[in-house]
Order: sequence, then structure tokens, then C-alpha cells
Amino acid sequence: MKISRRRFAKTLLLSGTALAAAPRFPGLLPGAEAERSIVVQAVSQRLRRQDHDIPRAAAREFLDRSLQAITGKADPAAAWGTLFARHETVGIKLSCLPGRMLSSSPGLVAAIVSGLEAAGVNSKNIIIWERSSRELEKAGYEISRTGQKTIGSDELPGRGYGSRIAVAGSVGTVFSGIMESIDALISVPVLKDHDLAGVSISMKNMYGAIFNPNKFHANRCDPYVADLCSHPLVRGKLRLAVCDASRVQFHNGPAFFPKYSREFGGLLVSRDPVALDFCGWGIIDALRREAGLPSLAAAGREPSYIRSAAGLGLGRDQESRIQRIIL
Amino acid sequence: MKTKKISLAAPHSRRAFIRNAGRAALAAPLLFSPEASPGAAVPAPQAREAAYYDKLSDKKVVCRLCPHQCQVADLERGSCGVRENRGGTYYTLVYGQPCAVHVDPIEKKPLFHYHPGSQAYSLGTAGCNFNCRFCQNWEISQRRPEQVQSVKLPPAEVVRQARGRNCPLIAHTYSEPVIFYEYMRDCAALGKEKGIPNVMISNGYIQKKPLRELCRLLGAVKIDLKAFTEKFYREQCGGTLKPVLDTLLTLREEKIWFEIVVLLIPGLNDSREEIEKMCRWLARELGDSVPLHFSRFAPTFMLKNIPPTPPATLQQARRIALAAGIKFCYIGNLISDAEHTYCPSCGKLLLRRLMFSVSNEGMQDNRCRSCRTVIPGVFA
Repeated sequence: MKISRRRFAKTLLLSGTALAAAPRFPGLLPGAEAERSIVVQAVSQRLRRQDHDIPRAAAREFLDRSLQAITGKADPAAAWGTLFARHETVGIKLSCLPGRMLSSSPGLVAAIVSGLEAAGVNSKNIIIWERSSRELEKAGYEISRTGQKTIGSDELPGRGYGSRIAVAGSVGTVFSGIMESIDALISVPVLKDHDLAGVSISMKNMYGAIFNPNKFHANRCDPYVADLCSHPLVRGKLRLAVCDASRVQFHNGPAFFPKYSREFGGLLVSRDPVALDFCGWGIIDALRREAGLPSLAAAGREPSYIRSAAGLGLGRDQESRIQRIIL
Repeated sequence: MKTKKISLAAPHSRRAFIRNAGRAALAAPLLFSPEASPGAAVPAPQAREAAYYDKLSDKKVVCRLCPHQCQVADLERGSCGVRENRGGTYYTLVYGQPCAVHVDPIEKKPLFHYHPGSQAYSLGTAGCNFNCRFCQNWEISQRRPEQVQSVKLPPAEVVRQARGRNCPLIAHTYSEPVIFYEYMRDCAALGKEKGIPNVMISNGYIQKKPLRELCRLLGAVKIDLKAFTEKFYREQCGGTLKPVLDTLLTLREEKIWFEIVVLLIPGLNDSREEIEKMCRWLARELGDSVPLHFSRFAPTFMLKNIPPTPPATLQQARRIALAAGIKFCYIGNLISDAEHTYCPSCGKLLLRRLMFSVSNEGMQDNRCRSCRTVIPGVFA
């Protein structure tokens, strides 16, 4: 079959565009080239909640330092720019189930947005989201449907979920339309114990991106959390995990119980969600020990899905393969 | 779309039979019918305290409705996705809020020995306590209440609507009625009082106590027996077999009319050995009069890589059931002579079916007109 000159030129142009649009950022992991996954842990009085919120300026400062440590860039904007390109649409997935007392802090999220903007990401292309707008509002967020958006999945057509079935290992589901529309994802969980999963941190936060999370809580969510995060929509887009550990629920989660929570003033940042969750689990166990509670493993709630995720190559769960940078 | 109600006294003419069959075939499942629903769309699920649960310490609850017995922490939901713990009190989020409402022939459920030829005002809510990889209604059964468009339809309105549409029956169906237990129970109680029996089309995954309460209110039950191995239930459905068998035994004890459907999926639950074992158990434990339907699988949801069940497999399964002593065995989702009801004594054709249409060929009241054998079931 003969191709006309015009058609040939058009094809060439289209393939060139496709090449230009191809992702230049690796997905979930810091890359096979890295020997160890970096997890930045900051603990500071300045990161403690004031009126249930982390001060934005402190959050931005610690975030910048974290990203500088992770990327090796001296300039904060360049550090953010290493992970996110100007033309990209970035989703920031929050964790807002327990309401204002134990949700991703608005101050921290505002700091993430300003970091993205510093990298040149257009604010119109930033979507702060959760399962529902109602949950966001209860957590202290103002819904915004234009410009830089803050919305629940439920505001999308079809109440947030289409009919395209996604299968990854043991998980069969439908993703939120927001997951389909973004180029890059930042998971912003709260550091908390989970009655069934053991812990709910950056990977478990992805349960809020699917329509049937209730189906995947058996066997301490193992291997479901790992399988879900192995789906290309998550694995290919999740570029950064920022865990709000300003207030930690170390027992009886995921709801807020003051009796079992600690004003920790912490922040965990990593490109490797498995490593971040592994470190978060360690913090929860340490706080449990201080409170005279058994470890999660001793309580029969070891979050074994973290190991399963490492087994799937989603990240690292061995101390020797994790480089902790303490700020 | 209506199917003309059969008269058990007289057979249909061939022309009327074919016309009704055509009409019934057009009555495809309609998951949400605003036309059939009087209420306005519900923006967010309304909560009502659930039945059958226990409160635990630290605001936790344990659900006692189905064999999952989910332990649910504050703000979390059970496996069904429609029952939520709010501060230590357990709520159902689907009471009076179906997302699927339609008028169906009772043959579609299928219930073949219960008011054949009748129309059932049929409804279902979001949610299910299974997650079958082959669910044909997954778009409502696997969703949560806030992810579907529901209508407000309290029990009194359900009964009123059924009566207004000349439906002598109300069917709880489409997703899994067990998970909207309180709604179904109240509809059934009211329906019983008003002379409109309710039927439940279920996977049978329910605890004994709530089931017994329900049996006093329902007219009939259809149970999907998904397979006869724990492996299948565990891997394909997210449940277990034993409680379903217990449900069948309880239904027999309660003396409520019930029928069983088995969807045969190539390579997963259609081996000769499994079907033989199943049929022997059914005949031994439930007797020979419980109708058994073998249904043809069509690729859907997460099982799109498996072909439809070959007709020969269904016919073989039916032969096995008949050989095991089961008197009424049907084949569904496939047009064949195995849709009809025959007299188990003289072999005469009693009820002829095509798709969802039915005509009386040889029954008088509940007997074979020819040899006077009593046919088990409820025949209006």
C-alpha cells in the first residue's frame, strides 16, 4: 500500500508528538539504578498541628528540604521540577475519612501545591481529591471546581466511576475517573493504625481511588493493597508519597481516638511508598511500645501487605535497602 | 412490558404463546427505571440503624447478618459496602433506596413453580456480600450506595406500586437482598399483610437467625448455589460454601418454597464429579421436589476470557440431576425443551416455556391433568 506524501508527513508529526509526550519520569520506584530507597523523616515542634493544621510555611520548608535530599538538587524548585513537569496534570490524593482531627492537613497540602507551582506546574492542572467532596469538607477543605481544583471523585460524571474494569492480581475494580485523567499522583496519607490492615499509610490510601475498597479487607488487606498498587494506573503515576505524621493514631484506627493518638510533629517523604510505609509502621510500633501496647505483629495485625508489595517490586521493605534521612 | 398472565385452566393458542414469548424476550433487565420509581433521586445515602449486629469495645461493632461476620471499626463499612459504623452504631445505608426497579416475569428470577406466568415488581439496591468474578449485575452489586443513582421507595410505596402495576408479587433481586435485609423484611411484612407475597433471589449467604425471621414473611426463595467446592466459593466469590448449604437446609426446615440455580462455568464448576456430588447431596438432604436450574454462563465482569457454557454440558448436568432422583431439573439461558415442566409420573408436558413466557399445557390446579400427580410448588 502506497502512502501519500501528505499522509507520511502527518504520521511523522504525530509520532513525534507522541514521543514528546512520552513520560520522562519513572513511575513508582526511585529506579532500579538506585541502591537504596530514600525516606526522609522530619520531626519538629514546628510540624505539630495548630488548630488541627500544620503551619503551611513550616510544611513547605520541610518538604523542600526533603525533596532536595531525595533528588540531590540544591534548588527547591529544581528538586520539585525533577519529579513533576510543567505540562503535567498532578493529582494529590488525600486521606480524609476520619474528619478534621485526623485527615491530611490543609497546610501541608497547600505547601505541596506551592512546591508544584514552583516547579512550573500550572495551578489549573493540580487536583486535590478524595472519594467525596463531603469528606473533603469535613476535613476542612473548601471545594473548588475551577482553577486549582479541590473535589471529590463523586463530582465526576457517573458519580466518579466509569465502567472500565481494571484487574491487578486479586483485585478487580473500577478506578476513580480522576486517576484516569492525571499524569502524576502524590499520595498524602495520615500515619495511622488500621483495625484490619494493621497500618493505613501511602499504599492503603489508594483504596480511596477505587469503587469497591470494602471487598479487599480480608487477610489484613494482603495481598490486595499490593496488587492494587501494582496496577499501571497506580504504579505508573504514583510519583511521591508525603505522609502527614503531625498527629499519629497508633491504635484503634482508622478513626480518631484521642486516647491512642500522639502529637508527633512528623513528616515522611519518599518516592518509594513501600519504604515509606515500612518506616511508618516502625513509628507506629514504637509509639505502641511506649504506650504499653503489643506490636502490630504481636497483636495479630502485622501489615504483611507491605512485604507483598516489596515482593511485587513496588519498593523496598528491608532496613538495609532503605536510606533514612532525618531532618 | 407485560407478559399476559397464564390461565392454568386453559392452554394458550400457538399464536398467543409466541406473541407472549416475544414480548417477554423484549423485557430485558433494566437496572434503573425512573419511570417505575415515584421518588426523586437521592443525593446521598440515608442511614437507618441496622438489625443483627453487636456492639464491641472502642466503638467497634460486629455484624451478625451474614457469615462474614465483619468486625467493623468506627467510620468503616462491612464487606457489603452498605452497612457503616458511625460512632459505634451500625447503620444500613440502603433502606428504602433501591437503584434498580423493574417489572419482570417471575420466570426470569427464575422461579418456575411459584405463581408461574406472574409479574413481579422487582427491586434491588447497591451492594453485595460476595464479589463474584462473573457477576452480571456488577455495576450495582459491587458499587457503594453513593456511587449509584437511587430513588426513595419506602416499603409502603413498594407495595402500592406493585398493586398499581398489577403485580401479584414483589421480588428482591438484582444485587443481593441479604445486604438490604431490613428493607426487604419490612417490604415482605407489609406485602404479606396486603396479600402481595415477596420473594428473595439470593446467594444464600446469611446467618440462620435472620433467615428464619425472614422465612416467616417471604413467599418463596431462589438460591444461587455457585458451585459445590469451597475452592470455587473462596476464589471466585469471596465467600464459603458451607453457610449456603446450611441456608438450604434451613429453608427446607422452614417449609418455605424454594428453588436452586447453578450457573455452570466452563472449567470452574462444571466437572461431572462435582455435579454428581452436588446432585446427590441435594436429593439426599432436600428431597426430590426442589426444582434445580442449570444456567448457561456468558462472559462478563472479570471472567471475560471464558467461553459460554456449551449446551452439551448443561444437558449432561441435567441428566445427572435426573439420574440422582431430582424430579424437576431445568436448563436456563438457553432455549430448549428443558425449559418446560413435565409430569414426573407420566412424563406429560405440563407447562411450556419459551424465554420468559409460559403456557399451561397439562396442569389443572396443582396436578397433572392426565395422571393427577400433585406437582410441588405454589400454582395460582
